[in-house]
Amino acid sequence: MSAPVVETHSLAKSYGVAPVLRDVDLRLLAGTGAFIIGGNGSGKSTLLRMLAGLEAPSGGRALVFGQDTRRLAARYRRRIGMMAHESFLYPMLTARENLEFYAELFSLADPHASAELWLGRVGLTEVADNRVRTFSRGMQQRLSAARAMLAEPALLLVDEPFASLDHDGAEIVAGLLRGAIERGASVIATAHAVPEIDGVEFAVFEISRGLLLPHAHKEEVRRGRIRSLLGR
Amino acid sequence: MVSGFAAVLRKDLRLELRSGESTLALLALSMLVLVVLVFALDAARVRSVDAAAGALWVAMVFAGMLGANRALLAERDNGAIRGLLLSPLDPATLFATKLAAALIFMAVAEVGAVILMVLFFNLDFDASTVRLAPILVLGAIGFSALATLLSAITGRTRGGDLLLPILAVPIFVPALIAGVKASAAALAGAPFAAMGDWLKIMIAFDVLFVTAGYLLFEYVIGQD
Repeated sequence: MSAPVVETHSLAKSYGVAPVLRDVDLRLLAGTGAFIIGGNGSGKSTLLRMLAGLEAPSGGRALVFGQDTRRLAARYRRRIGMMAHESFLYPMLTARENLEFYAELFSLADPHASAELWLGRVGLTEVADNRVRTFSRGMQQRLSAARAMLAEPALLLVDEPFASLDHDGAEIVAGLLRGAIERGASVIATAHAVPEIDGVEFAVFEISRGLLLPHAHKEEVRRGRIRSLLGR
Repeated sequence: MVSGFAAVLRKDLRLELRSGESTLALLALSMLVLVVLVFALDAARVRSVDAAAGALWVAMVFAGMLGANRALLAERDNGAIRGLLLSPLDPATLFATKLAAALIFMAVAEVGAVILMVLFFNLDFDASTVRLAPILVLGAIGFSALATLLSAITGRTRGGDLLLPILAVPIFVPALIAGVKASAAALAGAPFAAMGDWLKIMIAFDVLFVTAGYLLFEYVIGQD
């Protein structure tokens, strides 16, 4: 059996005296996906940031590719892609310049070709030379998805990927998540409710009072359209 | 590592060329400081080279503060700093990039400030003005390193913009005094040998804060 891509042991996080997450035990293998659902402020984004090594746990351990996320070496960081609430994009650069910049950071062989490819995949080729500050929230979200997946990471951490997206945008991002799992990447995504994505099954967990629990309504996960996202 | 350094520096310069905010603000601030000081200082009582050197360094400190703050400010927009931290880019390389960007902005401001200083204080453009160059470069390296390191800390706090000068200026005082003294000596036509002690202080300050920034940047910019 292959080693888990993500493994946490009694992971905990508090801000001051207020505990946000406690005793989180999560294990994710390559080529599998997990959705973590929960209300606002439940700790979903905090959990993703700890897995990315952007936030230090208050207790327990988080391992990604077998490495403690407190000190992730560059060769492991390059295998993580993150799509967060913040887009990580530069408003004064164009969409193309943003992607080319990140492609250079990840030492991709041909930054220009990579940027072109991903602009096409998220349907932004026509506005590639517009500055990001002129983009709507949804367009920035699509570009952020392209930025996160540019280097084809082995672990994708996605915070509320469908927020702010219209129907077409949600289909595009859902397709990218499906594609990532099909090529063997692991995906951990968060949402307020369980989304349904064609052709791929996700394990579903729920954060309740700081604890990560298997979601009570697993039957919600089934093949189908992205109905819950679109309110239908 | 080199490609990451080049990519971030190129991006910073592109952002600056596009907005022009830092360079214009640095030049405007330098001009303001020099104008105020040229009228405030009594030419009959203070040697013009001493006054000019003091005014130049006051302008430089203000300009440097603005430059270092802006170099990291762009990374706070949309959380771009997290994108950099998640990339394979080494935090020490990120410090080197931000230091290089702050140095370039400061160098542009210094060239403008020196021209204004010569004009406002009725000095001559001659060999003594050229002798200022290495002194200003040493000062710019030290101040940029200090301000880049501190702005990474203060940028994470509320009211960080106010905190930066409160922290940076007192720490910079030894190098500032050395810079003013060495600059006044250079403008008065003294040879470098005569300002050796002041230059040693500046070199020591540069080594200390470039090393500290290179080693500590990971901890001040890293995990929340």
